[in-house]
Amino acid sequence: MEGKKNSVRRELKFLFAIWKANLQSAMEYRVAFISQILGMMLNNAFYFLFWVIFFERFKEVRGWGLQDMFLVFGITATSFGVTAFLFGNAFSLSEVIAQGRLDYYLSMPRPVLLHAVSARSIPSGMGDLIYGLTSYLLSGYFSWSGLGRFAVGVTLASVTFASFLIIVHSLTFWLGNASALARLLMNAILTFALYPITLFNGPAKFLLFTIVPAALMGSVPASLARDLTWQNLGGLSLGAAILLGLAMVVFRLGLRRYESGSAIQIEV
Amino acid sequence: MKKYWAIFKTQVINSLAYPTEIMWRSMAILIFLWVFTFLWRVAFDNSSTTILAGLTLHDTLWYLMLAETIELSRPRFANTIAQSVKDGSIAYLLCKPYDFLLYQLSVNAGDTVFRLILTFIFGSALIWRMVGAPPDIWGWPLTLIAFSFGWLINFCLTALIGLAAFVVEEVTPFTWIYQKLIFILGGMMIPIDFYPPWLQNISKALPFSYVMYGPARLFVSPDLERFATLLAGQLAWVAVLGVLVSVAYRRGLRRLAINGG
Repeated sequence: MEGKKNSVRRELKFLFAIWKANLQSAMEYRVAFISQILGMMLNNAFYFLFWVIFFERFKEVRGWGLQDMFLVFGITATSFGVTAFLFGNAFSLSEVIAQGRLDYYLSMPRPVLLHAVSARSIPSGMGDLIYGLTSYLLSGYFSWSGLGRFAVGVTLASVTFASFLIIVHSLTFWLGNASALARLLMNAILTFALYPITLFNGPAKFLLFTIVPAALMGSVPASLARDLTWQNLGGLSLGAAILLGLAMVVFRLGLRRYESGSAIQIEV
Repeated sequence: MKKYWAIFKTQVINSLAYPTEIMWRSMAILIFLWVFTFLWRVAFDNSSTTILAGLTLHDTLWYLMLAETIELSRPRFANTIAQSVKDGSIAYLLCKPYDFLLYQLSVNAGDTVFRLILTFIFGSALIWRMVGAPPDIWGWPLTLIAFSFGWLINFCLTALIGLAAFVVEEVTPFTWIYQKLIFILGGMMIPIDFYPPWLQNISKALPFSYVMYGPARLFVSPDLERFATLLAGQLAWVAVLGVLVSVAYRRGLRRLAINGG
């Protein structure tokens, strides 16, 4: 038990060291870093104008109003930002696999998947994160206890999103370079997460809780941030845990099929 | 012109080298249109009328189909130009016997062809199934002409962003913001007819709506007067932006410094 605790502590220490190095590397090009953050915030704000215009005209969509959209946008943008900033390589894992760049991570005495996905940071993710928090503050649902629930929701949504990315990019192990398919599926989860869940019914809703778990990235954590219900918290935690487990299993199974021309090199 | 035609043809063939990839990319339209179908059905159901801002649900969804097709097939080469400026590889293109901008135009036109056709086929199939047959076929040639000039406007705007790399370190944020301007002021996510009048006026005065809204609106309500007005606006924007791109390119070249290589 003590050994396991030490091992977790060691991996966490390693993870923090990578994040620190990634941040230092991003700060090396300060102007580019800051312009990407500001650019992404502006980009999200422009995108959100769609909902402002839409609700100006239609007022509500099956019980959802502009306030709810601020909240769901807040959760989704923040969890996207967290994943992009801390686990940026999850967005290009298929290229890493297809180009044989996993060799580098396989040669290190560290967990391959954790190391591979955290090795790169996408600086604009910080812009999404800040924008998401701002969107939450503007939603009208802010309270100090709500902020705690928001943080829990974002954490679980980030786990869901990162796991989903790992699963779809791992398809490369079986299909060859699946980056275009992975991009398509990533677009799908993001698009569905940013729309009111009440729009969908029947099979569409089932799809959004299972195959493309957009509901676990948008509307469910948003309703958790609104009010704490054990059903929401339990369901979201269970969903995130299942997806994380699945991502680890799929990656591990895929790793057995991995082949490369011995491309051990420095990853920058 | 012969050499540019040859570049265009080569690029068309190149774009077919990875058919699976082009298919997955084109299929993205199904996701967006599927969500839009749910959203606009509910929006029309909530209203007590079948016509909103002069558009029926059928018109709105066919409009969005064409707008999405334009968005998903439009070339995104700003980062390619920016990268070639930053790493100096632009020098290899500059010493070739062709004009850099016309080369980019031919390459990107070649890249667009199959993406446009496939995206249009996937999008049409879905919307046809959801709300019925497409608008009058006689308007299609007019739409194609309007699309082509809209494509040129988009080319000029994207080239301007790419050429900004002569001056600024990072152009990626400009590409994001440009995309969102196309989404909102261009009328990609919601037809401009649904906007409040003041925003309609602003949107219609800017070039973004000539890329997206103009051709898509013509597609669902084809008439010669609309076409003539649209074309006049597009030609004016192509002229203005064409001059701007040319000036930006020549000024940029003066700032270019390549060390070795």
